[in-house]
Amino acid sequence: MIWTIGGGKGGSGKSFITANIGICLSKLGVRVILIDADLGGANLHTFLGIPPPNLSLSDFIKKRVSSLPDVLIPTAIPNLQLLTGAQDLLNAVDAKSVQKRKLVRSIQSLQSDTILVDLGGGNSLSVLDFFLMSDGGILVVTPEPTSIENTYRFLKSAFYRRLKQSVSTASVKAMINGAMDQKNELGIQNPHDLIKAVRQINEEEANRMIEEAKTFHPNLILNQVRSKKDIEIGFSIRSACLKYFGIQLHYLGYVVYDQDVSHSIRKRRPLVLENSRSKAAQCVMEIASKLANHR
Amino acid sequence: MSMKGIKDQTYYEILEVSTTATIKEIQKAYDHAKETFQADSLAVYSLFSEGEMREIQEAIEEAYWVLTNEVSRKSYDQSHFQTVGGQPTEKSIEAQGTSREKKTSLSFIGLSYNAEEELYRGKTLKQVREKMGVELQVISQETKINIKILEGIEEEALEKLPAMVYLKGFLKSFAQSIGLDPHRVVEDYLRFMDEAMKK
Repeated sequence: MIWTIGGGKGGSGKSFITANIGICLSKLGVRVILIDADLGGANLHTFLGIPPPNLSLSDFIKKRVSSLPDVLIPTAIPNLQLLTGAQDLLNAVDAKSVQKRKLVRSIQSLQSDTILVDLGGGNSLSVLDFFLMSDGGILVVTPEPTSIENTYRFLKSAFYRRLKQSVSTASVKAMINGAMDQKNELGIQNPHDLIKAVRQINEEEANRMIEEAKTFHPNLILNQVRSKKDIEIGFSIRSACLKYFGIQLHYLGYVVYDQDVSHSIRKRRPLVLENSRSKAAQCVMEIASKLANHR
Repeated sequence: MSMKGIKDQTYYEILEVSTTATIKEIQKAYDHAKETFQADSLAVYSLFSEGEMREIQEAIEEAYWVLTNEVSRKSYDQSHFQTVGGQPTEKSIEAQGTSREKKTSLSFIGLSYNAEEELYRGKTLKQVREKMGVELQVISQETKINIKILEGIEEEALEKLPAMVYLKGFLKSFAQSIGLDPHRVVEDYLRFMDEAMKK
């Protein structure tokens, strides 16, 4: 099972959540590999309390190391390994989809039960593809306008990209490209308009797109919630996605705002190990157990 | 449900409830939907345009009124769902393509007064209500619309009617409470007002 954690913006807590969920899962006896693919600032190692690693995925891609498992970095936690440097590949402009698929396949072939990929706040096509190719995409959002706006932007890009991949006609692909630009000449404002427009030129492709949308189930974690009202925002986001995209978003859970989180980060000690009884750690554990049962 | 415009969704889809939802569940779903799609809700403002928001808000109100009224819900169900083994199921795909306005007007044929030719204006609403034997006082309690306003609507006292944006909502609720198609009533009444003003 490969989970990708992305969307939103820097600072919404993706790396914190990735690291701590990974630890919880490994404590449950699940073999976990964490992959750091955060372009902006790869520092998953810091959340795990280990120094910046020397080995990375680049060593494998540039054939300095012959097998992918050789670039895995062990951590102090049993069942938990780290792979860094995925950002180099995601960043490569010329990374063809064949290459990307190859990377995904070699990652899938790693001996592990669960792989968590921290995508960071990026929005590039490679990040989107990685998000879409995984078994489950997880969006981490804080209950703030900026975070939610960016998440929707990410989700829109991912959604339209997925639709585009599901169709084969050039004219329909072009139409989807057009729809991604809010000021398009076709007057397409939302996915419903797009389907209507596609239906006029190609009924079959329109139906294919509807079927594709039905299979798209991103997950949501709301981080740094401070009130009951904040928790409700997760349900509202779910409803908004259903009305706007027609997709079923899965609200995985929330993590409460907790001073203990920043204390643990400063100490470079994972929260769930440092202070497993804190409220935030309890929330993370609950989400991790949901993921464990999902396998 | 998937990728249907708000106009093509059933009232159940609009409120995200099952077709067997209880009044309590509908109430809860309505409260959630209202909270979610209010103008300053964090979860929606960057996704929907103002026009889309208004459309959704209106659809939520309409769905709520129809589904919480036993009579209107029943006739809505009859026109939208075939009963298979006692469980309502969604109609075939051909039916789904049509807009809700069309479907709704079908559902009210049995109850509506003079379904085809005449405009719904104040006196027709009054006739329908009286035919059903419902006191205006009861409608006022049910819809929480001031009785003076309901009287104004029935008496066609245009100068006493509230601002257009409120009037539309009141007409809708009034229509639903007496089992009429709210869309048609609003449309007709406004057309009637328009004509009356010209004279």
